[in-house]
Amino acid sequence: MTLTIDIDGTETEVAPGTTVLEAVRAIGGYVPTLCFDERLDAFGACRVCMVGIEGLTVPVAACTTLCRDGMRVDTRDETALRVAAATVELVLSELPGPPAQHTELAVVANALGVDGGELRWPGEQHEHVHDERHPYLALQHELCISCGRCVRACDEVQGAFALTATGRGFGSNIAAGLDEGFRESACVSCGACADTCPTDAITELTLLALDSEEASGAL
Amino acid sequence: MSRNLVALIRRHHEQGAPTALEVLKIALEDHGEITDDDRRLASERSGLPEAAVHGVSTFYDDLLAPRGRRHVRVCTGTACFAATAGDHVTALSEGLGCALGARSDDGEVSLAETVCLGFCHSSPAVRDGETIDAGAGVVERVLAGTTSAAAEPTPLSVLDLPVLLAPAHDWIGLRYAVSTRGPESLLEEIKAAEVRGRGGAGFPAGAKWEFARRAEGERKFIVANGDEGDPGSYIDKLLMEDHPSLLLEGMALAGYAVGADHGFVLTRSEYPHSKPELELAATTARAAGILGPAVLGSRFSFDVTILEGAGSYVVGEETALLACIEGLRGTVSSRPPFPAQRGLYGMPTVVNNVETLCNIPMIARDGAQAYRELSPASATSGTKLVCFNERFRRPGVYEVCFGTTMGELCLELAGGLVDGHEIKALQIGGPLGGLLPGWKLDTPFDFEALATEGCMLGHGSIVAFDETTDMRALAVHLLHFGAAESCGKCFPCRIGLRRAHEMFLGTTPVRRDCLEALLETLELGSLCAHGGGMPAPIRSLLAHFPEELGLT
Amino acid sequence: MRFDRSVTTTCGYCGVGCRLEAHAADGRVATIAPALDGPANHGHTCLKGRFAHQFSRKRDRLTAPLIRGEDGALRSAPWDEAIALITSELTRIRDSRGPDAIAGLASSRATNEDCYVMQRLMRAAIGTHNIDNCSRVCHSPTSWALRQSLGLSGATGGFDDIEAADAAIIIGANPTEAHPVVGARIKQATLRGLKLVTIDPRRIELADYGVLHLSPRPGTNAAVMLGLAHVIARDGLTDELFLKQRTKGWAALEDLLADYTPGEVSRITGIRAADLERSAHIYAEATNASILWGLGVTEHRYGSEVVRLICNIALMCGKVGRPGSALLPLRGQNNVQGSSDMGALPDTFTGYQSVGDEDVAQRFEARWGVTMKRTGGLKIPEMFDAAVAGELKAMYIFGEDVAQTDPNTTHVIAALESLEFLVCQDIFENETTKYADVILPASSFLEKQGTFTNAERRIQRVEAAIEPPGEARTDFDILTTISKALGHDMGFASPAEVMDEVAQLTPDWAGVSHDRVARGGLQWPVAADGTDSPLLYAERFELPGGRARLAALPYKPPGSEASDEYPMILVTGRRLEHYNAGTMTRRTGNLELLASDWLELHPDDAERLWIGDGDLVSVRSASGRIELEARVTVRIEPGHVFTAFHFPEIRTNLLIGSSADVNTACPEYKVVAVDVRPVAEEASRTPAITGARRD
Repeated sequence: MTLTIDIDGTETEVAPGTTVLEAVRAIGGYVPTLCFDERLDAFGACRVCMVGIEGLTVPVAACTTLCRDGMRVDTRDETALRVAAATVELVLSELPGPPAQHTELAVVANALGVDGGELRWPGEQHEHVHDERHPYLALQHELCISCGRCVRACDEVQGAFALTATGRGFGSNIAAGLDEGFRESACVSCGACADTCPTDAITELTLLALDSEEASGAL
Repeated sequence: MSRNLVALIRRHHEQGAPTALEVLKIALEDHGEITDDDRRLASERSGLPEAAVHGVSTFYDDLLAPRGRRHVRVCTGTACFAATAGDHVTALSEGLGCALGARSDDGEVSLAETVCLGFCHSSPAVRDGETIDAGAGVVERVLAGTTSAAAEPTPLSVLDLPVLLAPAHDWIGLRYAVSTRGPESLLEEIKAAEVRGRGGAGFPAGAKWEFARRAEGERKFIVANGDEGDPGSYIDKLLMEDHPSLLLEGMALAGYAVGADHGFVLTRSEYPHSKPELELAATTARAAGILGPAVLGSRFSFDVTILEGAGSYVVGEETALLACIEGLRGTVSSRPPFPAQRGLYGMPTVVNNVETLCNIPMIARDGAQAYRELSPASATSGTKLVCFNERFRRPGVYEVCFGTTMGELCLELAGGLVDGHEIKALQIGGPLGGLLPGWKLDTPFDFEALATEGCMLGHGSIVAFDETTDMRALAVHLLHFGAAESCGKCFPCRIGLRRAHEMFLGTTPVRRDCLEALLETLELGSLCAHGGGMPAPIRSLLAHFPEELGLT
Repeated sequence: MRFDRSVTTTCGYCGVGCRLEAHAADGRVATIAPALDGPANHGHTCLKGRFAHQFSRKRDRLTAPLIRGEDGALRSAPWDEAIALITSELTRIRDSRGPDAIAGLASSRATNEDCYVMQRLMRAAIGTHNIDNCSRVCHSPTSWALRQSLGLSGATGGFDDIEAADAAIIIGANPTEAHPVVGARIKQATLRGLKLVTIDPRRIELADYGVLHLSPRPGTNAAVMLGLAHVIARDGLTDELFLKQRTKGWAALEDLLADYTPGEVSRITGIRAADLERSAHIYAEATNASILWGLGVTEHRYGSEVVRLICNIALMCGKVGRPGSALLPLRGQNNVQGSSDMGALPDTFTGYQSVGDEDVAQRFEARWGVTMKRTGGLKIPEMFDAAVAGELKAMYIFGEDVAQTDPNTTHVIAALESLEFLVCQDIFENETTKYADVILPASSFLEKQGTFTNAERRIQRVEAAIEPPGEARTDFDILTTISKALGHDMGFASPAEVMDEVAQLTPDWAGVSHDRVARGGLQWPVAADGTDSPLLYAERFELPGGRARLAALPYKPPGSEASDEYPMILVTGRRLEHYNAGTMTRRTGNLELLASDWLELHPDDAERLWIGDGDLVSVRSASGRIELEARVTVRIEPGHVFTAFHFPEIRTNLLIGSSADVNTACPEYKVVAVDVRPVAEEASRTPAITGARRD
């Protein structure tokens, strides 16, 4: 038994239980996301994957909305894109500077036309804390946007459960173990966290070195 | 939240292990703080990985506030704000010589914010150790060391035969159900009664129960949401502490209809008497053969566990509530799956507000028709408890009928405001409720009517602001609360509420277009009704009191 | 641009075969990320594949040929000189003592193409079947047993069977440390309801996620398997139809099983009878169940027999040949499957075609233009024996550090010292190159092109992200050049052409080509039209008549048993952060994560022997003695100790004697009788054994 849905004018068949985001990606469409990773369960935190659904007065998050037979999806819905762009603008406001061009965040900001130049809602950012105790992994806490991907990758892919979200509200961030750094925690250094991080809050020390060399024109 | 974390702790839970949160709370009680050794112990005992335990220990207010030998908690809720504009907080902090959220250098005294103590009828309220004192002179009494327990509120029903506030409780509804009708029949009766959830969402309880009944699962659970965190609301407090067996009966009936054999009540740590009262009622009920392996001699078995939270408002949201019961961080989960399909420990779970469950026994005893006839045909069926804040002449908990106008409720029942003050605006239903200006009191008290005015029925609290309340200060107060209680998961709420608060702090003019755009983002983008609902009172302020907000 | 070159390649560490995206900048690997579409790894990898690549540019990397002079010192030499020396020496020895006085050891870390070229070099350029690879010391028992019982030398399914299974048994393997990505998949499966039974002398991490853990005495695996089979038969859990239609030998097995009651098995193994019965039911009653095993099964005197007994159980329950019901040997090296597939073995050509089979041999002779003997050559342990006996005069060791990783180190060193000529082709100097006359600088997996075959029989592409450093060359280049210098020009322009020849000569690889392997890989057998085989034995087994062969093999005790002089049993294995000899991983940041090893010891033994956590202890066996730090843990049983073999300074394999598998000569690394005591403690001062063993 399959469902038939319409995405931006293209009809497609999907199995029951498929989310709108999965359906869009299956036909090669694009909906920007920040907290989504195909290797992980959908989370619904970033609210950037907003799309319009015919018959609904408000946009919905595509990653956690199930397809229904006959559904008509509009990935270019004005309200949806406006809310998504505003959300990304909020994210840029909590970071110390524009995200590096290679990061997923930068790609999404560009796709949504958010340039972070004239921020409507400037405000406080997160504390600069750099944890480089691990031979390979670097954790720059001020770049964390609490998307939860690293915690979930450690949980749902590796199964080491070494990371956690900490704090509450705007004070949220992430930590390894009892806030003791990767090495002292249950971390097995698989790098899934660095691989999934959309902002380079967790990244490799070698890449940081490479990028700073490039920035200073050494390459 | 995480299926894996739940799978890890479920095995321990089934063997009777405590949750990580429970172990941390015990450590806190024992030595006033939480150490890494405590976290490791919590991990070992509960099965929750150490990192996750660390995360739990940084989420809940109770676990974070540093504690001195004397731990003072001052209520910064909306009713207390309405009474003093926050002056009591400053006075107390200065008087104790301790900053808010800190402990004195000698470790003698600590002062923490708490929202809310449920003494809104006699604001401001302060919890000094285990004593909750409130009302005029409370700050002086705390500083002098002469606090005494404040008086509990007065309940009153407009009905000749109170439903929710009946003085005596007889378990007849449950007896009738388990001895003369099957679960499906009871379910049909509840559906026919058209009981709408009383926690704020107004979702039909019967439909929710049916989803759970039809869902597949090794076990099913009933969860009573006693996390009445709305500042200004003390309705569930009264029900849990004065009518605990009514709640237990409602839960047992839900269990019977749904096929659940166990229920949990999550109470609040800010209401220290709720858990003891419920446990006493449960013990008595067990002794009388009402709860346990054979309810009233039938083949139906049902028992309850009473739990206490640790200081988080958003834990009142049903998915966050279940996470708290599991001992995890109280963050909101996206739905589907709904708790009725996959809830507590992954099992089908009915989550109902305390007041909603208290409506059930009457239906089981007298039938759906009688229940619907309690209110005018065009309004929501059943009765509703409302509560008024200290500004009113006759504050307290009232059982009223849907459809009554706000004016009747505020002026006739509650007697208008004290000392000749005027109602400038009402916030109904909680901090996420819109503000009804004083010139619109002819609005009926019901879900749709209030929604038309940008307000909500919510949980039924009615907080009045008089003419002395500065509306920009109110905006700051509400947004401070909203930002502080955001669970931090979804981006619009996590960042947006903080930004909204920052916009109103200080004296800088607020750009209206930026504010409107932010409010839209919160309303349409948030994961749950916390971020989604916070704009409502701000929109009311924009609509009715724009000149006080300092806009450009 | 951040990177100069980006390739998708296959990891060169373990047998999981993660697909990786390798990015290079400025001639070095900048970062490696997992490939999202990797069939085995699904966008995940471990700290070795992901991070441990810095060894590729370490300063002590071999970058030029080295020749040992008369004075024993090594000096750099140009390639021409090194090749000329190798050619002249090997030719001299071949002409004076015969080609069988020369032996080759192919690297199970190298590509299929490299291994094929090496075995062709030995067979065609030199003229001997003395070629082997390190599967000898790990899964050769598996290879032998699977061919005996089912027909083909490889897993019957793939890793996807883990998610499709309802129950699984893991015996003699510790996947979360040795095959991390598969370990993670298994862990996730248990969290989603997979019922896992773990069988290992140590309480491995996955035991905490399974429903039951059995700790049999080392060396008693056969009794466990026979016990499980007994319960399955006794309780009517066999698939009668399957046994009748698709197997042979049930009557003899059924007869034998009568002896292995749970009580008897409990006596032999030390596990509880009730646990044995429960395990059997968990496996047999599941709709689909798979069995995974590792070196804890194979590296034993009767390891090959245990694998046959494992096959018995699956055949008795009909749990083979469908999704979720697979037999999955966890191959250790990245290409240990492939190096054997490619015929780097003394008794088979590619695809396990026997050197004694006339049709097959003629086919190879025709292609290569040479004649070859019909009798097989020496296995690795036999090579060392022959060297010590003066019959083997030269060895060409390609990518193997036998002096560190092979058992009975003293004997290995004696063998190497006895040779007249030793060539080592490797990426670093190591314990073995200390005895080499010529050392050739080789390439790592990051610097070459070709294919690896993982534990799922999946052939996957390897692409170079960087060039070999200095004057080092690709192994393909080196081996074909030397072959040509020895008078046998293979004529391959590229590794792809090597694979084309393999396809032509190997029925099971008929449809394999680099183009077809593409991104998703191919699981052999691959038909001529390119159809591959994710699942084996759905219809028939690859044996005459199409039926599988059950084996009625009784339990026999291990080669090494505890005695008064050596009262403890040592089990050796791996740690997550390092890989085998540690040649690569010890030259990366992984060394920071784990700088040294330790001996795991149970608290009861620690107390009895007056050993404290962190004390230096000596471990002595009949073959040798080592010293290392002791750590007390309850994850091991009293009477057993455990350590790994990644650190040359610890030299664990000094302790391993010559006990080996009866059918394949795979060394018994997993059961060694040892004496453990604090260092500087004399025998007379060790107190007598007092406390009873706690259950």
